[in-house]
Amino acid sequence: MEISRRLLGKMAAALAGATMLLPAAAMTQDKPAPFDNPGDVEIALVRYLSTGDFFQAYLSGVEAQAKALGVNLRVLDSRQDAALQADMVDQAIALGVDGIIIQHGLTESMKEAAQRAVDAGIKVVAFDVNVENEAIPQIEQSDRDLARLALEQAIADNGESWKAGYVYVAGIAPLDRRDETWREFKEKYAGIEEVAMFGTLDNPIANSVANQARSVVTANPDIQVMFAPYDEFAKGVKIAVDEAGLSDSVKIYSADVSTADISAMREPGSAWVATAATNPAVVGEVSVRALAMLLAGEEPGKSVIVPPTLITQKALNDGDIKNMEELAQKLPQFAHADVAVPAWMPLPPRD
Amino acid sequence: MGDDAVFRIAGLTKAFGPNAVLRGVALDLCAGEVTVLMGANGAGKSTLVKIMSGVHRADRGAMMLGDKPFSPASPAEAMRAGVVTVHQNINDGVVGALDVASNLVLDRLNGAGRGLFFNPRRVRREAREVADRMGLGIDLGAEVTNLPLADRQMVAIARAMAHEPQVMILDEPTSSLSSNEAERLFALIDRLRARGVAILYISHRMSDIRRLADRIVSLRDGAIAGKFEDKPLDYEGAVNAMLGQNLAQNLGRHSIDARDAAEPVFSASDIRIAPGARPLSLALGAGEVVAVTGLVGVGKTRLAETLFGIHRPVAGTMTLDGRSYAPRNAADAIGRGVFLVAKDRASTGIVPEFNIYENMSLPFLPRFSRLGVASRRVERQTARDQIGDLKIVCRSERDDLATLSGGNQQKVTVARWLTQPSRLLILDEPFQGVDIAARHDIAAKLREGAGGRATLLFLTELDEALETADRILVMSENTVVGEHRNADVDMDRLLADVAGRHHETARSV
Amino acid sequence: MDSRMAEKSSVEAPRPSPRLSAREVAIRYGFLTLLFGLIVFFSLATRGFTSPQAAVFILQSVSITGILALGVTATLVVGGFDLSIGSIATSSMMAAAYVMVVLEQNALVAVLVCLAIGALVGLINGLIICYMRVPDLLATLGMMFLLIGLQRIPTEGRSIATGMTMPDGSTAEGTFSPAFLALGRHRFDLVIDNLVPASVVVLIVLAIVIWFFLEYTRFGRMMYAVGSNERAAEFAGAPVRAYRIWAYVISGVFAAIGGILLAARLGRGDIASGNNLLLDAVAAALIGFAVLGAAKPNAFGTAIGALFVGVLLQGLTMMNVPYYTQDFVKGAVLVIALIFTFALLGRRAR
Repeated sequence: MEISRRLLGKMAAALAGATMLLPAAAMTQDKPAPFDNPGDVEIALVRYLSTGDFFQAYLSGVEAQAKALGVNLRVLDSRQDAALQADMVDQAIALGVDGIIIQHGLTESMKEAAQRAVDAGIKVVAFDVNVENEAIPQIEQSDRDLARLALEQAIADNGESWKAGYVYVAGIAPLDRRDETWREFKEKYAGIEEVAMFGTLDNPIANSVANQARSVVTANPDIQVMFAPYDEFAKGVKIAVDEAGLSDSVKIYSADVSTADISAMREPGSAWVATAATNPAVVGEVSVRALAMLLAGEEPGKSVIVPPTLITQKALNDGDIKNMEELAQKLPQFAHADVAVPAWMPLPPRD
Repeated sequence: MGDDAVFRIAGLTKAFGPNAVLRGVALDLCAGEVTVLMGANGAGKSTLVKIMSGVHRADRGAMMLGDKPFSPASPAEAMRAGVVTVHQNINDGVVGALDVASNLVLDRLNGAGRGLFFNPRRVRREAREVADRMGLGIDLGAEVTNLPLADRQMVAIARAMAHEPQVMILDEPTSSLSSNEAERLFALIDRLRARGVAILYISHRMSDIRRLADRIVSLRDGAIAGKFEDKPLDYEGAVNAMLGQNLAQNLGRHSIDARDAAEPVFSASDIRIAPGARPLSLALGAGEVVAVTGLVGVGKTRLAETLFGIHRPVAGTMTLDGRSYAPRNAADAIGRGVFLVAKDRASTGIVPEFNIYENMSLPFLPRFSRLGVASRRVERQTARDQIGDLKIVCRSERDDLATLSGGNQQKVTVARWLTQPSRLLILDEPFQGVDIAARHDIAAKLREGAGGRATLLFLTELDEALETADRILVMSENTVVGEHRNADVDMDRLLADVAGRHHETARSV
Repeated sequence: MDSRMAEKSSVEAPRPSPRLSAREVAIRYGFLTLLFGLIVFFSLATRGFTSPQAAVFILQSVSITGILALGVTATLVVGGFDLSIGSIATSSMMAAAYVMVVLEQNALVAVLVCLAIGALVGLINGLIICYMRVPDLLATLGMMFLLIGLQRIPTEGRSIATGMTMPDGSTAEGTFSPAFLALGRHRFDLVIDNLVPASVVVLIVLAIVIWFFLEYTRFGRMMYAVGSNERAAEFAGAPVRAYRIWAYVISGVFAAIGGILLAARLGRGDIASGNNLLLDAVAAALIGFAVLGAAKPNAFGTAIGALFVGVLLQGLTMMNVPYYTQDFVKGAVLVIALIFTFALLGRRAR
């Protein structure tokens, strides 16, 4: 096991005289109220989206950080029902929680519910949903940075002049933000020629995108770079490129990462050369930490941005990384973000 | 009867296209009397009812209600004027999802000038009034779907009575009721009669007719064929008028050589085809053609389908070729050589998307197949043979059934069961919707091939039976009440059997 | 009814008839002509549309929906419908991934498990419909929801890939076996090396099998009889319920095969509802009604219907038409095909 900072911290705590079974109790003296007595603190996670790997990992991050703080966590899942999500905020208010994390949702339905929570004296943070409230910090993974990192790598690999295929579906907020960066790059580098744009969210997405991408590469065999800023898109493009036998002439740049993506990128001769990603578990941890800072009377900032990491095929191969856990271990910048970490903040163990 | 008639019909005619259905019907209905209307299928009963209840309009003729002309443009208008109809299909008369009280006052809820709001207490009060007036002993809060059929029928009638009608038309109201249930209905009808309602009662059931009728009117081919008002009522005369033809003449014209059975093939002893039915027995032999006749609804189709394994007899045993015969389904029956040309070819016979040879081979596909693969060559050859035998008019055996005339479609459904040898061939109304020529073709083919099997025909039309059968059995009330050898038929006794007079004593052998 | 009905053209070799009117020709060959016209149009309008590789690719892109469509054709033939095929396919995909990645079994076990799941779900559908008297649309709708949920339970909503973390914190070490992946990726030589993908071969084989079954065996004929007039089939001695149950089993097994190919192509088990697979498959089967003027579900028409959708989408994508327009075009084709079937042929809707 690698000796990490948290492990050292934990050992130090153990040496200070606490048992390993009660790590939170061990640190009570160092922490500001109300975390000197964390068992009395209750926070609620009110979710809009919950199915899929990303949201699973996000939840595990939230749980890990809540456990490290020793606070009680209550998870309310509206399963994509916007009205229910607003009701759940009211439910959390009625339960008398100390803090609320709003995870995704619609501005229209959440704005007033969030205001009611703030009025009730509850601290609120929001992840990936703009509730238009000065008192509520926004946790964001920076979609623009994701796209920028991937495209900068594409420029570094292929120079400033190439023919590109672009996978995009309008109307999805994160994809729209990534699209803005793509437009900026096209303006900045006149040599980038977008010869085809396609995309679909028909599920299974990878299968549908593969069918489209196959048509596109047949019509445009001279494409050098495929920019697919969503891993399901990239997976579909890779299938199509493999099937068309063009793995050598096309390079795929994407955003987001998962265990399955890692194995796809590491296949011999894979055209998928780089992806930029934020670790959703880290975003979950940051969400809880930002809320904890608010509860402790500190100011995490109006906007808490979790920076992405560039993950290249080469780095994966060099480190022989096979899954997300190994990725977190071997790329420390992916495992941890130095965001919202005041000195007193206990961090979740990582093993 | 003219003077105290509340409803008069004179010279009513109606044609659908070239098809004249009613040819000058005259009918009077009197207050406090039950007038029974009898008529065979296609006589025009339902058209007459539909004109009276405002569904159709007559081409010519007049209707008078009291002393005012009556020509309703819609059922609602007829109802408001005081002529209400209770249809044969009980569930047309009630709304299943509502309780009894709401059903009783449903029509009032729809009337113009009603308030916007539904007042449950007021509904219950009005419903209670209606129910009391009718002597209806049914829980007003019960859901209609939970009621037995008879109670639903009562609710439908009580609901109709809520309009205070002068004339009530009851279209075969007992067709799906048991005899106990029917008796409750009759008691209700007696009360209506006592209240001075003129009732037109349409039925085939002789027991109903004997129980209720004050007068009988027989309809035949769109015209009144007989009125019977003198007590005691002449039931046989009414049946004779309804079946219409002068049967004695027909006897001479279509007389056939009545053959006797060579060897016994099939027998049924004391089978009961429906709960509560009296047991019946019959024996059929090879080479004979036996017709079972009787009015509509006496259980002919039930018997045919019981022999074919669609239904199982409630009690009793059957034997075929000396062995016990208890088919569990049609496939069992077919396996034993019992074939049924079912009634109503559109719903139980033809497969509309199939062509002629596919329709003919349907029950015997395993015999036309090797390793599960159907041999079209053999199928088509078989079909061509049948087309020739039965003189089916078509371009080829690959014609779609839909392109054939009704008579030729019927020939195909009969031919289907002639392609393979059978022990017992049952035909339920094989001449329905078939012209004379096709009927003769089919009958001739049946008699010609009758040698090796027993043939059993179910026929409502007496002259069809006289024309084709060696022996005639008469059914009434789910059992066989008479038997006649088709040589020197005593027509009076035959008609009496049809009218059900002897069913207490006479039993078939 | 008139003589145009006389020429029922299912998939039998069309018999030349001197009396075919212009209208009959339009009905019989209209859709095939339209398909040919589309191919000509795309060939002229785009680069690279006419090549053996492109032709094979069109087949590959419709192979999964095509197989599902052939299965649903069997249920349409008996007068039923199966809304659960999409979720059977995705459940089968998840099952294949689970068997290989989590349980670390080989390709054969994975395939057998998938086929068993398809057959079992089809059997349950059939039993619910025939014996519990639940209407087919509702029964299979319920099954669809059930499967969408069920496929998430073993992994608590995670997609399945090698190296994934299991709910209990352990790591799944199994891999997709190369033999299984070959089902989605292997290519057979046909004139050109590595031309025909395995999934296309599966599609063609299954299309021929179901076509022969429905058109030439007595079982297929009886299934048509059950769908056209159930009472008549019963009175002809057919075990009507058994035929209907078998139709759902066929549909379930075909959907499971589609799921196997999906898993082999993606190389992982993705959480998905499969609703798009369902809609595309149903569209193909319904377009098939119009092919050769059959006006009834038929395997040949379904295959052509799937091909039609594939050609259309391939061509439109090559012309850089955005995805939402493609859905519109797909829908328009379906509506036209249905009008063709029900209005021009003048037959009663099913």
